[in-house]
Amino acid sequence: MTSVLPPPEPDEPRAGRGEPHEGSAASAVGTFESPYATTDATAESIADAPPLEVPVKASPATATPAKAPSGKASPAKAPSAKATPAKATQPPANSAPPAKSAPPAKSAAPAKTAAKAKTPAKKRAPRTKAKAGAAAKRPAPKLGPVVLTVSGLVKSFGQNTAVSGVDLEVRSGSFFGIVGPNGAGKTTTLSMITGLLRPDAGSIHVNGIDVWARPLEAKRIIGVLPDRLRLFDRLTGAQLLHYSGILRGLDGDTVAKRSADLAAAFGLEDALGRLVADYSAGMTKKIALACAMIHSPRILVLDEPFESVDPVSAVNVTDILQKYVASGGTVVLSSHGMDLIQRVCDHVAIIVQGKVLASGTVDEVRGEKSLEERFVELAGGRKVTEGMEWLHSFSD
Amino acid sequence: MVAQFLGLKLRLLANLFRRSPWQVVGLAVGLLYGLGVALAIVAILITLRFSDDVASIRSGMIVAGSLVVLGFLLVPLALGVDDSMDPRRFSLFAIPTDRLALGLALSSLVGVPAIVLTLVLLGTIVTWSRGVGVTLLAIVAAALLLGTCMLCSRVTTALAAFLLSTRRAREFSGVIGILLLVMISPVVVLLLNVDWSRYGQGLLSVLAGILGWTPFGAAWSVPADAAVGSWGSALVKLLIAAATLYLLWLAWCRLVALMLVTPGREANVKQYGVGLGWFDRMPRTPLGSIAARSITYWGRDSRYWVSLLMIPVVPVLVSVPLAVAGVPGPVIALLPLPIMCLFLGWTLHNDVAFDNTAIWLHIVSGTSGWADRIGRLVPALVCGIVLIGLGSAISVSFFGDWVALPSMLGVSTCLLLAGLGFSSYTSARFPYPATKPGDSPFAQPQASDTASALIQSCSFAGSFLLSLPAIACALMGLLVDPHWHLLALITGVGVGVLAVVGGVWLGARTFEARGPEMLSSALRA
Repeated sequence: MTSVLPPPEPDEPRAGRGEPHEGSAASAVGTFESPYATTDATAESIADAPPLEVPVKASPATATPAKAPSGKASPAKAPSAKATPAKATQPPANSAPPAKSAPPAKSAAPAKTAAKAKTPAKKRAPRTKAKAGAAAKRPAPKLGPVVLTVSGLVKSFGQNTAVSGVDLEVRSGSFFGIVGPNGAGKTTTLSMITGLLRPDAGSIHVNGIDVWARPLEAKRIIGVLPDRLRLFDRLTGAQLLHYSGILRGLDGDTVAKRSADLAAAFGLEDALGRLVADYSAGMTKKIALACAMIHSPRILVLDEPFESVDPVSAVNVTDILQKYVASGGTVVLSSHGMDLIQRVCDHVAIIVQGKVLASGTVDEVRGEKSLEERFVELAGGRKVTEGMEWLHSFSD
Repeated sequence: MVAQFLGLKLRLLANLFRRSPWQVVGLAVGLLYGLGVALAIVAILITLRFSDDVASIRSGMIVAGSLVVLGFLLVPLALGVDDSMDPRRFSLFAIPTDRLALGLALSSLVGVPAIVLTLVLLGTIVTWSRGVGVTLLAIVAAALLLGTCMLCSRVTTALAAFLLSTRRAREFSGVIGILLLVMISPVVVLLLNVDWSRYGQGLLSVLAGILGWTPFGAAWSVPADAAVGSWGSALVKLLIAAATLYLLWLAWCRLVALMLVTPGREANVKQYGVGLGWFDRMPRTPLGSIAARSITYWGRDSRYWVSLLMIPVVPVLVSVPLAVAGVPGPVIALLPLPIMCLFLGWTLHNDVAFDNTAIWLHIVSGTSGWADRIGRLVPALVCGIVLIGLGSAISVSFFGDWVALPSMLGVSTCLLLAGLGFSSYTSARFPYPATKPGDSPFAQPQASDTASALIQSCSFAGSFLLSLPAIACALMGLLVDPHWHLLALITGVGVGVLAVVGGVWLGARTFEARGPEMLSSALRA
């Protein structure tokens, strides 16, 4: 279940993906293009995809031809023969839905895809290039083996079902955003992934380890930033970092070195000697984020990491996270900020009322709209407000 | 406007009853108790009407009344009451300041203290209904007193909310409250032992003479002075009382005006330096770090200070009445140390809940239960060893016979270790809501249930029960044969070590198995 192909080294696909940014971006969009409609039925069919991997993965060759038309969108694709095997890791899971649920739609898809794929590809290209100038090793979506699998997750509190059957699949090296309206079950889902909340049903595997069956091994490779939980705030920033590092099993010298690095990276050097209780909300968030990273986890699960963080720090944090992802790490984060998700994440899942309504790369989830519009549409649409005319005539 | 404030206050009072059934029961019992006390006082005041010893009634009433006014003034300051009618909560409603001040002041009349006070004041009117003039003065004085007391509590509550708005100040106020309690308790005990029948009369009348001219006692002595015939001083004191009320009103208005435009104070942030403090002095392992964290918290968190301060207070509270009752000194000397050990061991029985939701860090890092349990015991163990070492030497030297030393060591060690053993298990298995970090140590947790009382008493009684063999041996040593003392030491240390090892083992397993449950109980708290 964990790895579709013989587990490739995280480095291997990256090496292969050196040059053809546009190609891979476009083809990704092309292959992933699937009839993600607004209905729950399709959303569920996506969720059902993982079990289907097995038959599909046996023939990556069949998946590749299907990709051909969309591939035309990118002239850069041809020379990248090297890239193809690496990319073959992508299709199975994601090409499954079209193969299974909507064969008739598939015939229509290529043409549509080719048209559609152009836009995002172009849109993405300049940015990717700019980044590539600085760090050549950041192609757009780079997918390693599956690092986080969530299937059939259910949690209810009394009468109230917070999460009802969430399925997620996150591949290593992806920047995965979870968005949803207030009370959609984002925090509940993330808490169950990180071992903070016992699920009623369903399973969670991180790197092939069942989080709830072998918690100690799983926890070692997860870094956690919970939302709205306290920190040990009577400790100074330096003490809290030290405490987190030691609890994670690091030795004293490593903790000292990493604490210094993290403090510098997050701009917390001046605050290390103060009690965390005296920090501002944004600084508290940053020190918690630093604590989440100190043991260099394989996957970071961050609940609202940018809430109340100032724009400058947010950019710094994003940079740090993007470098982490570029080197094979995986970030799963939840946020209300659609803009931010659209800018930062390469994959996104939209959760509404405890169900995943859409999931995939950002481009395929949002289609031709902006992510925000797509999100509002899925989350129940814009409310037409009437009867507020009095607000427009002022009282004085 | 005033009607709305009164309505709001009534609604707030009614909402007190919209909690869990047991809280409502507790509240109802409290209310009935207050009402019962009030009615008893009223009954006494009415019977005083038929007493002719006007001078004594006058002295007693002035002194008691001054204490009542002082109480309304000081209690909010000492306890830092959470004020649901804080003027700042209305700052966004654009209400004119004087109307807001009047509305808030009048709304304070709706409430349990005000009702009890009103009943008592009505009683005083009955007491002084000795002629038309005196009765009229008594009515005026009662009205003045009601206003004075209510404004006193409003002003000091506002001041407390204002001055104690920073975290540090809030914490310190609680500690100061405890210290006051510590200082007052011997005084109260001493006062109770004064031979009142001989000296009381004179002392009271002297005190009443002084207090009657202060703002605290002036209003109380107006009808009293009139009743004994000194109308002149009664009128002057009436003026003092009226002026007091007026000044309080001015202060209240100014305070409301000031508070409306002043947001919370900014705390002065203390720099601790980049050193790691205790973390540097402990081994750099999970166990060492958890111990260092616990020690740091014992030093920095006022909630721990309060429970630690209670430890020396309890033996004082126990031994002073015993001494008064005539128990010989050497016997009393044997009591404080075991009592302190019992409480020290018990202090940690809800330690996980003190962390509140911060416990998530231990859960996500897969901290081993052993490291967590033992780390948390370290500060209590260190304190306990010092306490037992010094304390048993001091106690036995007061007792006067060093033969009892092994018993003292055995019983104290057993009580401490058994308490720590029970705490290790209960804090992981049955955390119940505790005061949140940063709140005043006196602030009651918002959610509490009967389970918490049960856990408290079980862990307390449990460590006592486990120590019974050691205590029995010690008693045999004292009463029958000194050879038993050695057995007391052996039994005590043996049972104590077994209890702490067993408790830590069970606690560690529970801690590892119930991480998510501990977190959700912290979230509910």
